[in-house]
Amino acid sequence: MIGRFLGSRGWRRFRRGRLAMASLAVIGVYFVAAVAVTLGAVSREDTKMRVGPNRLPGFLERINAEKRYDFNKWYVGELSGVFGRAQRAGDEAAAREMLGAFALAERRMSGAAPSELFPVYETMEKAWGELDDALAMREDLADERFVLRAEAAEQRASGADASATEARLREVEERLSEIRPRVEELYREVERAIEVLLPMPEGLRGLVYRLRIGLGTDSKGASISSQAVYSVKIAFQVGFVTALLAVLIGTILGASAAFFGGWVDHVVLWVVSTLSSIPYLVLMAVFVYVFQAPSLAKWFDNPDRPGLGLVPLYAAFGLTFWIGTCRVIRGEVMKIKELEYVQAATALGFGRFSILLRHIIPNTAHIMFINFSLLFIGAIKSEVILTFLGLGVKGQPSWGIMISHGADGVTNFFFWEVGAATVFMFVLVLAFNIVSDALQDAFDPKHV
Amino acid sequence: MWAYVIRKLVYNIPVYLGIILLTMAALRVRDPVAGYLGKNATQSQIDRLTEDMGLDDPFIVQYGRFLWQIVRFDFSEESWAQPGRSVRSILIDSIPPSMSITLPQVAASAMIAMVIALISAYFRGRLVDRVLVFLAVLGMSISYLVYIVFGQFFGAFLPQHLDLKVQPFAIQGYLPWLTEPRNWLTYCLLPVMIGVIVALGFDTRFYRAVMVEESSRDYIVTATAKGASKPKIMFVHMLKNAMIPIITRIMATLPFLITGSILLEVYFNIPGMGRQLITALVANDFPVIQAFVSVLALLFILSIILTDVLYALVDPRVRLS
Repeated sequence: MIGRFLGSRGWRRFRRGRLAMASLAVIGVYFVAAVAVTLGAVSREDTKMRVGPNRLPGFLERINAEKRYDFNKWYVGELSGVFGRAQRAGDEAAAREMLGAFALAERRMSGAAPSELFPVYETMEKAWGELDDALAMREDLADERFVLRAEAAEQRASGADASATEARLREVEERLSEIRPRVEELYREVERAIEVLLPMPEGLRGLVYRLRIGLGTDSKGASISSQAVYSVKIAFQVGFVTALLAVLIGTILGASAAFFGGWVDHVVLWVVSTLSSIPYLVLMAVFVYVFQAPSLAKWFDNPDRPGLGLVPLYAAFGLTFWIGTCRVIRGEVMKIKELEYVQAATALGFGRFSILLRHIIPNTAHIMFINFSLLFIGAIKSEVILTFLGLGVKGQPSWGIMISHGADGVTNFFFWEVGAATVFMFVLVLAFNIVSDALQDAFDPKHV
Repeated sequence: MWAYVIRKLVYNIPVYLGIILLTMAALRVRDPVAGYLGKNATQSQIDRLTEDMGLDDPFIVQYGRFLWQIVRFDFSEESWAQPGRSVRSILIDSIPPSMSITLPQVAASAMIAMVIALISAYFRGRLVDRVLVFLAVLGMSISYLVYIVFGQFFGAFLPQHLDLKVQPFAIQGYLPWLTEPRNWLTYCLLPVMIGVIVALGFDTRFYRAVMVEESSRDYIVTATAKGASKPKIMFVHMLKNAMIPIITRIMATLPFLITGSILLEVYFNIPGMGRQLITALVANDFPVIQAFVSVLALLFILSIILTDVLYALVDPRVRLS
């Protein structure tokens, strides 16, 4: 059937569209990524592992003063924890082991002997203490300057003698300008020490680590890029399984309803109109609710069988989405079954099932492909919505999880988590949208 | 005409009976009482709640009783998760908030999409048209949730954060319109706008398709032949005829908006029907879930019937088939 589909005139027309072929290539890239994730390129541990401080911005954003303080504070805090424990261990080998256990993915503690590292750690601690003091003093001075400026302006306005205030103001300004380079110097010192203790990995491992933190980290310090890539697999699983399920159910029921007519048609139509009279989001939510029953939890909510965690979602989407396909296929088969070649096949004595399977259903292939592509998009988008509502994916990263977690970050001006999920999803959905439009144009030119 | 209406109503009765059957059966697949009370419930607690809800009766008895409840609109049983409130009061209280974001959304998105679609159809095949169509596809490719997250951030959070003088939108919440119309407006405006923007992508494409199809009809050729100007053909001849599928579409989106606003209601904390349903689903609030799904489906069916009737009013051919 696929072979015949690929040889058809519509497919040749489809292939001429450059945009559509480019979109198909994009979908191919995503598919390769999904396969790679399935083969273990990005494991679920990769998406949970801490790779840096919380909410580290991605590669393009410059780190402002406030964040610089926070991130350095985090490094200093983590390092002082590790080094404190190592110092208490006393024994050199035990200290080495403790230091070696600390790692942010590929970024590990320097391999030098602990006796060399301790002095570096101590200078870092000292510099950090001084930095804290300097920052506090800078804040005090800035406050004082603000007050003095207001006072001086007031005195000048009232004609009183402002020289004493102005002298004090000058002094404050001078001390402020002294403290600024000092703060910068202390920051450099702390950062140098961190770099010595936790050197950026080199070569391939360095590249991997840079990719991990390339899009920043989430509120638990886990890599956003790993999560976004891992979610490609989830999106393909949800999209592929549900679209396939829905197209299969829809085609079989729609075609048999139209072809056999009679009570089959009545029953199918009744089921279709019943299901389509419940708003689809409500229907999906109720199906998910039913399939997440506690009695089913030992299958679908079991950490030993993570592959089955998505079954409630597959079932809910599959059982909801087939309705539209069923309607369209039923209409098309109604038309096809009156055509001459079907009459010819009947006259030649073929059975009804073989006519349906060999001659009618293959001729609805283009509708199946268009619907598959549309339902794929529908599934990906619905996953995000249901996950946000607390009824979708659980326990593994998905774009829905990323967007709903990242929504808190947005109010703190941290856009990387939502942004990464949005862009990854947008490109895939756009590609599918373009492909389904092009398929529609190529196979059904009369339809506008 | 009346025969048509009655035929439609009669046809939909078995459909609605089916919905109730399906809903009730689906909700009983997982034991609602055990799900709500959790693992630590004693047998007597389970028995009492089961008896209270009449869940120990045969299914057919429960089915009949629930149907009779719907007919009388008598949802007087108490909600499990919100003690002291009857399902009926939850239902009635949640209708106005839902309507106040749904109705403006339908009206505004239909009007704006129609204008854009007219522009697009007027410049059919030229750059303007292609840009508009592509923008519509782009807009359709972004998740609803992303629109909401960024809409709230740029519309409400950022102005408040920067302490701007004009802060037209509230970050979240809801106040009834009868007592506080001005606050009601600030609460509802942003969700409505986001909903409109989300709907624009699909609506524009659909309306454009309708208009393009209409513009290849014979009467357009006739009008062109008799020398009518292009704007006149577009706005007088074509728009009138294109209104038929457009009205159908608007009516058909009405019930979907009840659900489309679930996300808006949950995110903006608006106590509408969608939010109540999701809260009930998460909290295993069985009486509320059952009543809400049935009432939502009823509204859905009624609006479908209304669509068909309106359709039959504007297009007499439908009635006779």
